[in-house]
Amino acid sequence: MNAVTPLMPDIDFAHDDVPNLHELIDELRAHGPVVPVRYHGSPVWLIMDHGLLKGAFEDYVHFDATEGYKLIAEPSMGKTLQTMAGEEHRVSRALVNPLFMPVKVRSYVEALIEPIAHELCDRIEGQREVEFVSAFARPYPFLVITRLLGIPVEDEARFMEWAIKMIDFPWDPEGSVRAKEEFDAYMQAIIDDRRANPGDDFVSRLAHAEYEGQKLSDERILSFLGLLFPAGSDTTYKNGSSLFAELLGKPELCAMARGSDKDREAIVTEGLRWQPPTAFLPRMASADVDFGGVRIAKGDWTLFGITAANNDPAVFPDPRRFDPSRDNREILTFGRSTHFCLGMHVARRELETALRVVFERFPNIRLKPGQDVQHVGAVLRGVRHMIVQPYGEA
Amino acid sequence: MLVRFIDPDGCEHLVEGEAGESAMRCATRALIPGIIGECGGAMACATCHCYATPPDGATLPDPAAQERDMIDGCIDTRPTSRLTCQVVLAPELEGITFIVPASQV
Repeated sequence: MNAVTPLMPDIDFAHDDVPNLHELIDELRAHGPVVPVRYHGSPVWLIMDHGLLKGAFEDYVHFDATEGYKLIAEPSMGKTLQTMAGEEHRVSRALVNPLFMPVKVRSYVEALIEPIAHELCDRIEGQREVEFVSAFARPYPFLVITRLLGIPVEDEARFMEWAIKMIDFPWDPEGSVRAKEEFDAYMQAIIDDRRANPGDDFVSRLAHAEYEGQKLSDERILSFLGLLFPAGSDTTYKNGSSLFAELLGKPELCAMARGSDKDREAIVTEGLRWQPPTAFLPRMASADVDFGGVRIAKGDWTLFGITAANNDPAVFPDPRRFDPSRDNREILTFGRSTHFCLGMHVARRELETALRVVFERFPNIRLKPGQDVQHVGAVLRGVRHMIVQPYGEA
Repeated sequence: MLVRFIDPDGCEHLVEGEAGESAMRCATRALIPGIIGECGGAMACATCHCYATPPDGATLPDPAAQERDMIDGCIDTRPTSRLTCQVVLAPELEGITFIVPASQV
């Protein structure tokens, strides 16, 4: 792979903001469905075609994600569902799966998600202008997780620091490992307590889960809990920021967001297609393969171009148009096959609830005019800052 | 072979199914409302839940343990609940009916 010269050599997709990502993808697409680009300074294969990417997600022979994740995530995150394969993955996923199924997630909405949305709106109330990412989009899914885990409010800030640092391994190895150690030490006390005094809460359920005679060790629970933050908080916050940025500039979409649950489901799904938070997902090839006109060798890094596939004009006509009425069954935002995102239902309910509550509380909310709101990042893509006026013009 | 889907609005859709394909594939190919199949048929998303009624004289194989576990987590389940990604169409199922639940979530 090192002998391959990346296209657009001045751009590093691991580090650069790439606000014009969609234009770059259009340009890259002209060179083929799979092209070399630069990532962390080295050439990697970017897969953009929808059919090919769907196939890659389902192909555990050539694109088994586990080896790559062991290198970039296991040192700081421990062994997680991302780094497990086959039977071990099947049983481990089954142990935690009931906590993420639709019937369970429905109960989180009323008990947990909606009150947090209101709490954050309470803090916005009365202000003429608010930076919406830091006031709502970012803390919202994070608080869903900390409250799910039973973390006291006074420790939430500390958790935020650990959560950000733990996934920073490729950029700051020592810092991320240290953050995981501190996180583990804190959570161990809670696990010990729930093992001794089980309740109906999330950690108790994990501590006492049993499937085919197997249980979760403390180590596995800690790894799983650590994974919740990058998998469930960062992604949802990025997508939420993108979604609100799009909606708040378009009155007809705001009107639709004030409509029915089905309307909000459609808006959220279109937002997930249009600007997925994991724009490019790094994966290491697990075997040699001729793929999309190029030779990918075992050990080569690839980027699963989710944003590119979700905007593939062959599958999604006029893909840059935000259109909640389009058929979105083929979106690849949550992946595909057995490693399909476990938290998909939580993420969707969070986003739908955010729309409902924010527009209920602030029916006239809008973007402050005159801002250049940019979607940035290719690893995790979203909006960094946007000033909103909760009460509109007044 | 014909497969009958009744969508959440009560509308009936008759779809030409192919023996060997899953009922989920048949439904998504025909854009039946309410059957998503977002994970592609790996029993990982629980978005293709339906109530299945095989034609007279035919029966469906019982759900495997993993399908049963997933159905347990679906909304508004009934004894006839199935994940359509796990129902493989066969000639003896000609005329099978799938009622799509009001919501998958």
